[in-house]
Amino acid sequence: MDGPFTDAVMTTLEKFYEGLERFLPNLFAALVIIAIGWLVAWVLKKLIRRTLVLARFDQFCDSTGASQMLARADIRAAPSECAGRFAFWIVFISFLMIGLSALNVGVIDRLIAEFFMYLPKIFAALLILFVGFLIGNFLSRAALLAAVNANMPSPRAISLVVKFLIAILAFAMALEQLEIATSIVTAAFIIAFGAVMLGLAIAFGLGGRDVARRVLEKQFLEKQEQEPDEFSHI
Amino acid sequence: MAENGWLPESLREQLRSVGDVDILVGIPSFNSAQTIGHVVRAVQAGFAKYFPEERTLLINSDGGSTDGTPEVVRSASINDYHTILAAHPLRPVHKIITPYHGIPGKGSALRLVFGVAREVNAKACAVVDSDLRSITPEWIDLLISPIYREGFDFVAPLYHRHKYDGTITNSIVYPLTRALYGKRVRQPIGGDFGFSGRLAEHYLAHDVWHTDVARFGIDIWMTTMAITGGFKICQSFLGAKIHAAKDPGADLSAMLMQVVSSVFSLMEAHQGHWKKIQGSEPVPTFGFEYTVGLEPIRVNVDRMLQIFRTGLRELGPLWEKILTPETFQEITRLGDADEKSFRYPPSLWVRTIYDYAVAYHKVVINREHLLKSLTPLYLGRIASFVLETPEADADDVERLLEDLCQEYERMKPYLIQRWES
Repeated sequence: MDGPFTDAVMTTLEKFYEGLERFLPNLFAALVIIAIGWLVAWVLKKLIRRTLVLARFDQFCDSTGASQMLARADIRAAPSECAGRFAFWIVFISFLMIGLSALNVGVIDRLIAEFFMYLPKIFAALLILFVGFLIGNFLSRAALLAAVNANMPSPRAISLVVKFLIAILAFAMALEQLEIATSIVTAAFIIAFGAVMLGLAIAFGLGGRDVARRVLEKQFLEKQEQEPDEFSHI
Repeated sequence: MAENGWLPESLREQLRSVGDVDILVGIPSFNSAQTIGHVVRAVQAGFAKYFPEERTLLINSDGGSTDGTPEVVRSASINDYHTILAAHPLRPVHKIITPYHGIPGKGSALRLVFGVAREVNAKACAVVDSDLRSITPEWIDLLISPIYREGFDFVAPLYHRHKYDGTITNSIVYPLTRALYGKRVRQPIGGDFGFSGRLAEHYLAHDVWHTDVARFGIDIWMTTMAITGGFKICQSFLGAKIHAAKDPGADLSAMLMQVVSSVFSLMEAHQGHWKKIQGSEPVPTFGFEYTVGLEPIRVNVDRMLQIFRTGLRELGPLWEKILTPETFQEITRLGDADEKSFRYPPSLWVRTIYDYAVAYHKVVINREHLLKSLTPLYLGRIASFVLETPEADADDVERLLEDLCQEYERMKPYLIQRWES
């Protein structure tokens, strides 16, 4: 059965064997790296969860309103558990990428390089959203308390406006960080922000002219009528 | 002295030239040019009348006034003692005007007074506010003599006040301090105090001069440290306290927050002390007590109730985190009452304060927000008190206050149990 056909088959098989011989150790290395990655990620998850529980992170999230935000997003796990899981997946995916790079496949290598280049931006965006959420909650609660204590009308509305404005700002900053349609996001933010302010001005100045007058008159007259108490609190 | 190295060298120089003194009076000030002259003259007359043979020193610790306060202090003097006292002081009255350094506030100003007391080995000291209009030379006698002649270490003031004046003191600070530390000091944040050189030394031994004590919490800190340090405590009846009108726009919420946070912080620091104490005992009182008729004053109960009800509507979720479910439910029920029948009972008020103290201790939410959320509840309690006592005289009000104090003491186990849970 000698002949060109047999040679061709044998050569192909030899090449395949050689390729397999080269690829199998890489595959094995990739599997080992992924397995180690899973183990490291699992240990890290447990460690982070334990540390956060000890540091009373769940109570901190309860007090800042982060837990309520998670509950609204139908995430029932404790914030410390969420942080642990998040760390697990980040570490595991990173090891997965390293494992895949061990296969020495050009396309995968390029994708991995891009993934690692993009990773810090994802972190930064998430951090911006988280901090923005905390600041928004803090300031909206401060605004609510100040408005209630000053006996201002519609304290809840004041507090919601503060929260909404900070949320928009944080969201726009996060998207810009991720470089998702930067120019559109910036323009949209400016338009949205301007529109809200203009809308409020028009609503208050034109649409709600009578209401605005009544509110201002009431406030002004009440201020005039309500002279301060004559006793000292302290 | 090495411990007083933080005092400015120029001041120490002046103190060296004065030498040791028997009696020291400190006046902390900031932009008090309109009133401080009267205070300085009253102190000088007090020295001449009651301590003519003692070595005396008046120190003005100023926070950088821009209205000429130091110049007023410098020029204020009594030239004709005969017309006031029918006597001359036998020794010169030393007077030093110096700026204090550190965080701006009364605490930093008083730290300098304590440092001076140590430097000049003062036997008896007093501090009086610079905005007082009703201070007389007798105040110096009443604040200094119990220490100088009777061996006490701390003299708290006792004032004659309108039945509705000092509502934060009456509804929170006095009853809570009394229940916690077991001493009936009626004006723990009065502002004018007498203290011994030994106690000044004790104050200086605590490094609190970079905390809120330096800004606004010094009065309750001095009282609490004197009690928990086991010093001999008394109080002196000084008569009426009239001081320069405060800014009418001063924020009640901020004021309440400052006072209550000072008391709650001290609760944390001294928990080992107050948990062991049961009941309370009176402290010796000097001075001739009297009462006068009450003039009607303007109190806007409607506005107080309005803020209480707005709080009920808007701050419910916040209060639910701070208060126990039972306390929160009872407060919610108060919202249904009309103005005439609105009553915030003492037992509920005490539970409210104890729940807040525990929430502050456990940092349930941001502490500033926690304390600011107390304002509507406080106004609810004050409105209830005003509605309860339209015809009451000063004695009736004192009786009601005594009932409230006993409620605080009776419910102390509730506080301890929740504090430790």
